[in-house]
Amino acid sequence: MSRLKRLCSPRDFAAPLSRRDMLQISMASALGVSFCGWLPRLAAAAGDSVAKRGKSCILLWMQGGPSQLDTFDLKPGHANSGPFKAVETAVPGIRISEHLPLIAGQMKDLAIIRSLSTKEADHGLATQQMLTGYQTRASAVRYPCLGSLLAKELGQPDSDLPNFVSLSPMRMADAGFLGPNYAPLTVSGASNDPNARANLALEDLMPRADRKKSLPGQFQVLDFLEKEFAEELQSEAAKTHRASYAKAMRMVETQARQAFQLEDENPELRDAYGRNRFGQGCLLARRLVERGVAFTEVALSSIPGSPAGWDTHTDNFNQVKALSQVLDPAWATLLKDLRDRGLLDSTLVVWMGEFGRTPKLSNGGRDHFPLAWSVVLGGAGIRSGQVIGSTTPDGQEVKDQRIGLADFYATIVAALGIDPTTENISPEGRPIPLVDRGGKPIPELIG
Amino acid sequence: MANNRMSRFLAAAAIVTCLACSSSIVAQQRPPVAHKIATHELATWIDERLAAEYTRAGIAAPDTVDDATFLRRAFLDLQGAIPAVAQVRDFLDEAGSFKRADYVDRLLNDDGVKQRFASRTAENLARVWRRMMVPASSPGAAMAVKLDPWLAKQFAENTPYDQIARKLLLAPRAPPPQPGRPPIAAPADPESLAGVFEEAVGVMPENLTSAYVRMFLGVRLSCAQCHDHPFTDWKQKDFWGVAAFFAPNAARGKTPSISPAGDRPVTYVAKLLWEEQPLMELPTDKPPRQVLAEWLVSPQNHNFAATAVNRVWQYLCGRGLAGSVDDLDRVSPEERRMLDDLAALFVASGYDMRWLIAGICKSKAYQQVAAAHFDMSDSFARRPLKTLLPEQVFDSLEQALNLPVGKADQGPRHSGQREAFVARMNEAAPESPADYKAGIPQALMLMNGKLTAEATSLENSRTLRAVVEAPFLSSEEKIETLYLAVLSRRPRQSEARYFVEHLERHAEEPDDKTAYAEILWGLINSPEFVLSK
Repeated sequence: MSRLKRLCSPRDFAAPLSRRDMLQISMASALGVSFCGWLPRLAAAAGDSVAKRGKSCILLWMQGGPSQLDTFDLKPGHANSGPFKAVETAVPGIRISEHLPLIAGQMKDLAIIRSLSTKEADHGLATQQMLTGYQTRASAVRYPCLGSLLAKELGQPDSDLPNFVSLSPMRMADAGFLGPNYAPLTVSGASNDPNARANLALEDLMPRADRKKSLPGQFQVLDFLEKEFAEELQSEAAKTHRASYAKAMRMVETQARQAFQLEDENPELRDAYGRNRFGQGCLLARRLVERGVAFTEVALSSIPGSPAGWDTHTDNFNQVKALSQVLDPAWATLLKDLRDRGLLDSTLVVWMGEFGRTPKLSNGGRDHFPLAWSVVLGGAGIRSGQVIGSTTPDGQEVKDQRIGLADFYATIVAALGIDPTTENISPEGRPIPLVDRGGKPIPELIG
Repeated sequence: MANNRMSRFLAAAAIVTCLACSSSIVAQQRPPVAHKIATHELATWIDERLAAEYTRAGIAAPDTVDDATFLRRAFLDLQGAIPAVAQVRDFLDEAGSFKRADYVDRLLNDDGVKQRFASRTAENLARVWRRMMVPASSPGAAMAVKLDPWLAKQFAENTPYDQIARKLLLAPRAPPPQPGRPPIAAPADPESLAGVFEEAVGVMPENLTSAYVRMFLGVRLSCAQCHDHPFTDWKQKDFWGVAAFFAPNAARGKTPSISPAGDRPVTYVAKLLWEEQPLMELPTDKPPRQVLAEWLVSPQNHNFAATAVNRVWQYLCGRGLAGSVDDLDRVSPEERRMLDDLAALFVASGYDMRWLIAGICKSKAYQQVAAAHFDMSDSFARRPLKTLLPEQVFDSLEQALNLPVGKADQGPRHSGQREAFVARMNEAAPESPADYKAGIPQALMLMNGKLTAEATSLENSRTLRAVVEAPFLSSEEKIETLYLAVLSRRPRQSEARYFVEHLERHAEEPDDKTAYAEILWGLINSPEFVLSK
């Protein structure tokens, strides 16, 4: 706990800009171009009194659609089963893949849903669906994705960091009708050797030495030009530009509270997460949670040897094994690290992809399968150490307690202390609930 | 709509009948069409149609942009970068009522060889088409860059658009890489790179089917891969009917078929879209892909030319004549009519891309002012603000900042800086011209990145030094030159006044370079720089 306190003290987050730099930057505020003042007030935009709940959500996004039969819903003895053994976990009776041994040790803090049933089997559409909670196609509404929804509900309007950070190589869904203030900060990381040393630094956060003196003057000029342009043309593009620059300036001003400086972490802890893009992304997610970021997503997509991530149409078992070996230490260390710092009770960790995979094998691979698949939740007071629902012995159908997309979303939202029937108003004036109508939190998991 | 469907159905039936008697050639079945009209006639035709659309939609005909905005637009759309200061000055000072049309021709054509696209324009259009063919967000996006030389060659030679599609479909397949054997080095001839397209979208029949029908027919078929489409008429037999043409065992003279992996064994026989029955018989003298290619680009296949003109229009004007360029099943009757009529002229031109682009750029429609408020549900006759593509942003910076371009100077083109810049911009690249997605990392790069730092450095910046150290320029003229360099226009009065005051505020300082550097920084970071009005 003392370590936690030390880490969270403001001194630790003090910017490496010199006192003089800070003075110069704050001069910009004095000149009336404060970057914070620039930010259209999120609270005002929200038009309500969002109380600080202090809860956060981390989404571990398994791009491509992970095979439930080779991770959390094994079918030992059945013809559809692969070579992986189902092994005991910290919770007697719950068995998962042998290639997730560290996660097996954390099972008391996890709840597996084995009976999720969705409708889309196309990557793009399924991703849209899983990230927004709505079946989006043929719909005129641009649904906001989960990160944007939660940034609005949980985020502090005045925060130094964006309330939605996406650590993923591909941005798959956006803020929809909630607009640019709830758009993610996407950090792709740049590294030629993504598995050896992930570099998730946010580049160009620090102005060059000889430019620091000019910051106030520059921002003043830009503020003028932004206004001139907005007077001529009101457009979504100009609004997005303004919002991005306002947030970027705020981050320059505060140096993003050192969130992205992973080198400040204990090297052993970094090793435990795994020195790869996903592992270090999970570590960064924890640092962001500590700094109050409402929603962080970390994608596990391509790794060397598995360029298509979890989309294992061929060579399923070698690829799932390799991906599991990246996933297992990162996720398990994240849970432990959050617990050690007293953050697990306020942080929901969601593990999901866009769909599951076919129980039947074809050409050594498994194809897209949305009818009966698995997702995992942990933290934020979820009643863990249990399994919800089950599938038939061949894995082809839900056997009991079918969970639909809306129920799953209602569970996520409720775990974070938000009423699933909360509505946002679309630009056309239509009330759009956070969770598609009819969605009910899974009672066994909540409360 | 029903009529339209029926006519397309009949057209497909006609093609199939023709395919069955293998001696006929699809090309001979083209109906008699009007002759190719001149590009200025095309511009007039477009403007008459849009005038009717303004009346129908009940909107006032928009104003035409001023010379500076037109020039910046045309330079960006055709050459992929903003004009140089001298080019802007010359154009603004030039008299004559045809100067815009003349300039379009100048930007499009190579001076030496009349029938060629200027190479800069060809390279820019190649990048634009590559992004249409393989969107920046798809996994093959990085690989698809290798298609640029091939596309640039097609644009430079003004290869008819139907030929471009045919060449892609009929490109020789590279043998699959053998384990342990080094891959064959890329051949020097860009013509041999057509196969990159299929590699970039993924060579499985499913991927090829989705990619070709989306790109060239404006049909979203991929949903029908797994189930009959719930909102349109597409069925699984439509998807797999096309996929069968790409089946690994497809061979000459045999009707190809394909069995998707799944629980229930089903075999689909090759079938063309808008056609009820599978193909019973295939000509023996051509491979299945050729049969598919001939059907794809046939004038009876209305969606082919319609999709082509829709994509060109969308690129140039910001919004497609039919808003959903990838999904013509969703167009309105007005949109479809305009699309089909323009497509007929395009077919009559012999699928001449240079002709189409020139005609559109010369029209008032292209030269209208961007709508102050724009919504995608607005009429096709209105124009949105457009977002510069990543390479266009870089190349415009290079122009504005007067960066060294030569290899000997180790300019950013050769030091890897351009590549890194484009990669960062690609993370938030627009997926359609009116789409602006750049976020914090992109803003930080333009604010604090190396290029900007050097460009606004008092010692290193060429543009800054040229302006600041020019003894014969007044401060008003210096400000004007910075505007011309970055935004390709003269400052408005309010802007000139503001910046003169800005300089006065810095008057106490030892030199006023800093003040100019701040102005240049602001202009580079302004929304106007990364957008096209």
